[in-house]
Amino acid sequence: MTVIEKAKKSEETILKIEHLVKRFGDLEVLKDINLEVKRGEVVVIIGASGSGKSTLLRCVNFLEKAQKGRIFINGKRVKQGEKQLNKVRQELGMVFQHFNLFPHMTVIQNVMEGMVQVKKIPHQKARLYASDLLDQVGLQEKADVYPAMLSGGQKQRVAIARALAMEPQIMLFDEPTSALDPELVGEVLSVMTDLAKKGMTMLVVTHEMWFAKEVADRVIFMDEGVILEEASPDVMFSSPKEERTMAFLKQVLPQQA
Amino acid sequence: MHILPWDLTVIPSKFFLFAEAAQYTLQITFFGILVGLIIGLAAALGRLSTQQWLSSICRAYIFLIRGTPLLVQLFIVYYGLTSIVTIAPIPSAIIALGFHNGAYIAEIFRGSIQSIDIGQMEAARSLGMPKAKAMQRIILPQAFKRAVPPLGNQLIIALKDSSLASTIAVPELMLKGRQMGSSSFMYMEMFLIVGIWYLIMTSVLSFVMHRIEQRLKVSDRD
Ligand SMILES: Nc1ncnc2c1ncn2[C@@H]1O[C@H](COP(=O)(O)OP(=O)(O)O)[C@@H](O)[C@H]1O
Ligand SMILES: [Mg+2]
Repeated sequence: MTVIEKAKKSEETILKIEHLVKRFGDLEVLKDINLEVKRGEVVVIIGASGSGKSTLLRCVNFLEKAQKGRIFINGKRVKQGEKQLNKVRQELGMVFQHFNLFPHMTVIQNVMEGMVQVKKIPHQKARLYASDLLDQVGLQEKADVYPAMLSGGQKQRVAIARALAMEPQIMLFDEPTSALDPELVGEVLSVMTDLAKKGMTMLVVTHEMWFAKEVADRVIFMDEGVILEEASPDVMFSSPKEERTMAFLKQVLPQQA
Repeated sequence: MHILPWDLTVIPSKFFLFAEAAQYTLQITFFGILVGLIIGLAAALGRLSTQQWLSSICRAYIFLIRGTPLLVQLFIVYYGLTSIVTIAPIPSAIIALGFHNGAYIAEIFRGSIQSIDIGQMEAARSLGMPKAKAMQRIILPQAFKRAVPPLGNQLIIALKDSSLASTIAVPELMLKGRQMGSSSFMYMEMFLIVGIWYLIMTSVLSFVMHRIEQRLKVSDRD
């Protein structure tokens, strides 16, 4: 936990979102979102389904194009344009709910793909690093199998290794354990906890309140496209200010009511 | 025992006289499909492009080809173009079969590309891959696999459709059948031979395609 404590003290802003607005047709999904994340910080985003959590992460990664607002990474504003976005996306590792591993490639090929094809790292070197990353997520012995042979938890750990291979500055997780059988959630969260301890900046959408309590520096509650409340996990879970937050927490933490 | 009005016993003895014609059939089918695959892939990618004009051109091509008979297309290439350029029968047949099959193959590829989960493209893009590279490395290899069964089907259709090339003097099976029939007056016998040749070739192709499908199935499931 000491590493996380130290990370908290970093004052350097790594990600800044200003006045972000995203609409799908007439539906305004994000309404003037403002958010700052410090280097090494772990921010957990909670909120009801449909509140815009995924859309927020996808806008940060420019998988969705926001109608309004500005995003800064390391103090530099992200400009539009294919080349620029491809660069920026390398700084942002994304982990999806449904893993999205490449089924026609082996585990290690999945991890190497970005390194070899995007970063142009020589094959040999990429393989070594990929192997190292697989070791970190506990899957070195699965290097040469296809994703179809893995459990959900293993797939998600490969997906994390694949994202880490780009050496991103920020990792974005969109409900990484929601598609998993309950007994497989722990192995993924433990890899994520390790990552947090190493000082990785993380933006995590999750319903695992345990993870939020233990690992987050800050918890954000989203409601109908706005950040309704943000606080440290202690404050958020013991004394939320907003009624909507209370109602939501009551649902996801029934035993705490 | 002449119950039937035909002498079916000539079938075995005349059968191999059609071998060379069968070779022409295979040749125009093979090259026609090859051209069709190239045109089809290009048209599928064009159709899916965000460039409106490109997408429209490809859509128009597919619409025109699929809405008109192959025989018309064949005659346009062979007879219609003569005022500009004279193309020999075999190349004409290959060009017509290529453009014809290209339209169907474009739709096959488009369908298989669109059937790949959108998450695959997103995962590739999130690694910083440009769109074209993501297409080439991630989407197309998976889409090709899914396209194999309908492509096999199209190949068999093309093989049978190649019989229309007999109308522009390509010495393939159908033309051979007509010639042998009219010189011997044994039309039934000769066209039965032609039918048997087609049946053998389509069966072999079906079998081969089936084997390829099986093999692809083993290498990954998801
Ligand atoms: N591609 C899309 N087209 C139209 N509406 C969308 C699209 N993606 C998300 N939405 C809508 O935006 C809202 C927020 O969705 P989302 O960000 O996925 O919420 P969450 O992740 O919090 O469950 C929902 O009402 C959803 O239906
Ligand atoms: Mg979501």
